[in-house]
Amino acid sequence: MQHPFLKNKNFIPYVITWLLITAVFGFALYNFYELSWQAALVDSIIFHTLFMGLGLAYWFNVRYSSFDKSQIVNQMASHLAAAAISILVGVFLFKLIIMSLVHDEYYEEFLDASIPLRAALGVLYYAIVVLIYYLILYYDDLNQKSKRQSQLETMLKSSELEMLKSQINPHFIFNSLNSISSLTIIAPERAREMVVKLSDFLRYSLGKENDQMNTVEDEINNIMLYLDIERVRFGERLKVEKEVSDQVKGMKLPNLILQPLFENAIKHGIYESLGEITIELKARREGSLLKIEVSNEFDPQAVSRKGKGIGLKNVRERLSLIYGVAQLVEVHKTDRIFTVRLDIPQIETEV
Amino acid sequence: MKAIIIDDENLARELIKAYLKKFDQVEVIAECADGFEGLKAIQQHSPDLVFLDIQMPKITGFEMLELIENPPVVIFSTAFDQYAIKAFELNATDYLLKPYSEDRFAEAVKKAIARVGQQETNQKELENLKEARTEQEQLDRVVVKTGNKIHILALNQVHHFEAQDDYVAIHTDQGKFLKLLRMKALENGLPEDDFVRIHRSHIVNVKQIEKLELYEKDSYILYLKNGQQLPVSRSGHSRLKEVLKY
Repeated sequence: MQHPFLKNKNFIPYVITWLLITAVFGFALYNFYELSWQAALVDSIIFHTLFMGLGLAYWFNVRYSSFDKSQIVNQMASHLAAAAISILVGVFLFKLIIMSLVHDEYYEEFLDASIPLRAALGVLYYAIVVLIYYLILYYDDLNQKSKRQSQLETMLKSSELEMLKSQINPHFIFNSLNSISSLTIIAPERAREMVVKLSDFLRYSLGKENDQMNTVEDEINNIMLYLDIERVRFGERLKVEKEVSDQVKGMKLPNLILQPLFENAIKHGIYESLGEITIELKARREGSLLKIEVSNEFDPQAVSRKGKGIGLKNVRERLSLIYGVAQLVEVHKTDRIFTVRLDIPQIETEV
Repeated sequence: MKAIIIDDENLARELIKAYLKKFDQVEVIAECADGFEGLKAIQQHSPDLVFLDIQMPKITGFEMLELIENPPVVIFSTAFDQYAIKAFELNATDYLLKPYSEDRFAEAVKKAIARVGQQETNQKELENLKEARTEQEQLDRVVVKTGNKIHILALNQVHHFEAQDDYVAIHTDQGKFLKLLRMKALENGLPEDDFVRIHRSHIVNVKQIEKLELYEKDSYILYLKNGQQLPVSRSGHSRLKEVLKY
């Protein structure tokens, strides 16, 4: 995030506020401490200009520390240190400058007596400026959250069919129906079996709410149904390997988030090659993260056709909308194997 | 009557064979699971009739067909390919949409059998289909054949296309290839931000351009990165200007 007072025209209110403080302080010096108005003005301008500058620097202490509760002691310490340093620097510089400008015995006496007051003022300014920074950060965070929320809502509003269209390839459905048509003649029992599998797959995929979170076990079962159906179409050419640790089965992930990854694996693996292709699924737990890895072999010589990247882009967008974190999707490509890795945080994500 | 079935799915081929049992005069002499095998089988057996799926690994049914000089009568089938379907419809070509009924299949076969022997009409229709298709769908690769070898050229490997009578010479990283193709159809099918027709006989890949030099009034010479020089016509120059935005 950019410095809040330096971006756009925010420095104008910042400077005006300091000018007001300068005027009030100068007036007080003139009125209550009986300084000449020139001395009072010079004093107030220099003192507050210094703190106006220092105030800008306080941002970095706020920006680069987090809201995290566990860090509260560290944060307090860092603020105490920053306040002490800035006050020492501010007051010292002020004294240095003002001494070279004002040569008046009465003023010098006043100056020495006013140092503790100035230090106290410095602490006050520090506290107020830092508080304002925190408010800005908080407000900004809130803003982003509500923006994300509304984005998510508009996405959910787009009809269920639209969603399904992007996730289940019509090619797959019609080709599967054609396979069934063929099986009714050559192997009726297998046709029935495939109708049941296709129905189960469609029921799961159509029946879920878009914003729903499902268990890893349910999602993987559905993917296996999908791959089973594809295996009826492609036979021995499609090999599937699965390595799912027991402890992840109850973990949650967004509805049908894996579907586009497997569609891609089939599309770039099976559809574009003549030989056998292995598709691999791995799922394991790492801390609070669910780590999923989908990889497929592909023919390095294939000159791929269009439609690249839409499925993957959807997965990326959905994850970053749901979890508010970018970079949950990582893609890795060697000359024979294409791998997508997902990091799924396990938090309450009720939408 | 000799027929070949080309489809990457075994069950789809089985279905066609089962439906064909009612047609005694049609004999299936080969079954192929991809366009490469299909091409070989067609050259070897010269069938009268080919059942051709559009979506297959490596090269599509359309791309395979482009490599055949005297194509047989073709019955196309596809499950879901919007571009192909639009092209069929524009050209009034009969096609089977998977899954199809036995009646629908029989109708298509009868129509096709009636066309066997009318080589010229058939060839013309396939030619028109090819053009209808380039208007519907942008090319993303070009498939060519040299001798018995099939090359799939990604468009970014192409330096430029050059008209040579009925053929187009494709100049690429791997050398020069010839393909039976009309310049206009090619121009329609190429992505317009990447390829510009700079001359009656030249289409250039803009990423391969090194520099453009004024030759004489209104006439330019284009230098490619590989050192080749190409003439630029006046209208070619204005198209180039539009794409490169200078």
